[in-house]
Amino acid sequence: MNPRWTIAALLVAGLAGCWATKKGFEIPGQAFGCPVGDSRVSSMDDLVKQKVTSEGKRTTIQATEMRCSRSGDLLKIDANLNNDSSTVKRIAYKFRWIDAEGMRAWEEENWKPVLMYENSIS
Amino acid sequence: MSTPRLALALALAAALAAGCAAPEKTRYGDAKGVETLTNQFGSTDLQMIAESMTRSMLQAPVIVSGNLPIVTVQEVRNKTSEYIDTRSITDTIRAELQKGGKVRFAVDASAMTPQVDEIKRQQSEYYAKEQAVQKGQMVGAQYRMEGNITSIVKQVKDTKDVYYKFNLQLWNIRNGLLEWSDEKEIRKTTTRG
Repeated sequence: MNPRWTIAALLVAGLAGCWATKKGFEIPGQAFGCPVGDSRVSSMDDLVKQKVTSEGKRTTIQATEMRCSRSGDLLKIDANLNNDSSTVKRIAYKFRWIDAEGMRAWEEENWKPVLMYENSIS
Repeated sequence: MSTPRLALALALAAALAAGCAAPEKTRYGDAKGVETLTNQFGSTDLQMIAESMTRSMLQAPVIVSGNLPIVTVQEVRNKTSEYIDTRSITDTIRAELQKGGKVRFAVDASAMTPQVDEIKRQQSEYYAKEQAVQKGQMVGAQYRMEGNITSIVKQVKDTKDVYYKFNLQLWNIRNGLLEWSDEKEIRKTTTRG
């Protein structure tokens, strides 16, 4: 991969069957609709920290928000990425699907390039 | 220059050129990585289109209904100015959908000849009659998948911009209704220097 690309990887754990944690109005085992299993997730920051990892150069790109919803048996994920820089950034992202045991639940996705305008949210 | 001298000079030049040439290196790369070698249609474009179309089609009401619709893959017309193996795109989409287990695929036009040949072969005198596949047992598709890929290419002095639009449709064969359609757009800009 071109080294100029900054990589942001979103790791999403599909922890089916681990509905132990009770959290306010959330369905047990979920935080903001996203499956979290037994993990303690009390804020959006906790969720983002748990689900997102970055590879490559550290830049001004930060994941700030993540919400999940179900449509049939599909899990839809919305994530906000902020570019706080005053320049256009090009990043690539992918989702990694992990089951309750921490094993890969689906084969590796391809990296998807995204252009982020200066001081913008994608 | 006399012939032996010319031959000697050529041999020396060839030896020097061979000595100076950089050694070739071959390495395996990430097949799913972002490829930006040129702005022609590439592996990342194919992967992005296939993934986007698969995700979208899996949410189509005819697929969500869970009735395992039978689909046949028709042509994706290449309306761009470059060579693109559109069959490779539909093959990837078909493989992804098949893995999801929500869709079944019927033999398409391009695979019909080998399918018919195999049926005929099984009906020959070399096969046991009771186990041989009979004619008239194939299942027809309920839906057909077809599409287009178009491009707009613009170039000024040192900048080349390519815009691709991939459109895929799912048609109901019985009543001719369009059941699902989606598009994926890709823009690539190459700047020299």
